[in-house]
Amino acid sequence: MSEKLVVANNRLKNQTLVTYVVLPFTFLTVSLLGGLRVSGDDHSFMFLPPGLVTLVLAVLLLLLFVRGGLIETRSLIASANPPLTNVAHVWLLLTLFFASAQAFNSVLPERGLLHWMFSFFFLWTLWNNQFSSFDARRLLRSLIVLFGTAFLLKHLLLASLYSTDGGWLKSLTSTLVSSLTLGALDTPHFAPSTGYISFFTLGLYLIALILIGVTQNNTLSTDISDFTDQSKESSVSKRG
Amino acid sequence: MQQRFVKITGLALSAIYAAAIIWLYATEPRSFKEVATGAQVATGTYQVDQEKFNAALTLFRREQFRAARDEWQRADPAQGDPRTQFYIAYSFYREGWGRVYYDQALFKQGLEAVNRAIALSPGTLTIADENLQMHTAAELKAELEQGTEQNWGDLNPLKVLRTRK
Repeated sequence: MSEKLVVANNRLKNQTLVTYVVLPFTFLTVSLLGGLRVSGDDHSFMFLPPGLVTLVLAVLLLLLFVRGGLIETRSLIASANPPLTNVAHVWLLLTLFFASAQAFNSVLPERGLLHWMFSFFFLWTLWNNQFSSFDARRLLRSLIVLFGTAFLLKHLLLASLYSTDGGWLKSLTSTLVSSLTLGALDTPHFAPSTGYISFFTLGLYLIALILIGVTQNNTLSTDISDFTDQSKESSVSKRG
Repeated sequence: MQQRFVKITGLALSAIYAAAIIWLYATEPRSFKEVATGAQVATGTYQVDQEKFNAALTLFRREQFRAARDEWQRADPAQGDPRTQFYIAYSFYREGWGRVYYDQALFKQGLEAVNRAIALSPGTLTIADENLQMHTAAELKAELEQGTEQNWGDLNPLKVLRTRK
């Protein structure tokens, strides 16, 4: 019995650490790196704050998280919870919101027609998903595919098309595309490290979402934790 | 009790981290060096590189204004020292000053620098340098503003007799 209590207590401690320390820090790191670009000309940093469209996309994604059961808002924010727990959960949701916005920011082209095409593609997908039946696992898989596709298109295909280094065929193709579209498809030139930063950012974001899914299975409830703490204390005093 | 401690610690540390991220996006540093300089300014530990400042002053006195500005910019990369900004503005003034006309582009940059110096200085900014004829930022600003304004007085031929300060 006491062994079970120890295991439960350890699990609770780890969940607390993940929910209140690891997840907010990971989401904030995603928020930091999602808007970071490295200039292709002088390798200087560029910090791009989330645009309005990314905030709208983040709202839709958060709604999807709630619908898919990845976030249990009823247990996260409830009148039965202590105020500190509610504040910590609101903070977690806030960091998740900004991380989502910056994850979109990371894979959206910065300007031009492509920016709007990608935005429309995301909006359409997220809007359609609002009316589909989802569970947390399927939602996560769908998000990995969604962000993965956008990442490949932006940081591999487009970056390669508009890169300054390369053969004459590449230069000819990019000039031809740019001329035919009157510059509407132009994207700013970034250093290759931007792609690595974006990859790392998306990886962190998806890992954090998986962690939410894992911790959500055993929803943190202060009542339970208090009960476990008390039980542990009583068992220790009994042993003593 | 332990959970409460983790929650409070997590909230406090992540709030500090969030503030640092907001600061980064607001100041937009272009390199790690600028991040470090910005952090020094934010924590109040920022200091001008005195050696570079003195080297720039020597160049300024030899009328090598561009080189002097370059050195001052290296001495004060965060543009956070009113004295250095005053000297940068003065170098723009001296380089842009002409007997017949003033270089508008240089005077405008000088005006920006002197405005920075005034904004950074808590009180009246006075520089005790006997090699200068204008010792306060207000005087320098007035001179630079007059240089950027255009009026009928500019056509006065006697203006060629004026002297550089």
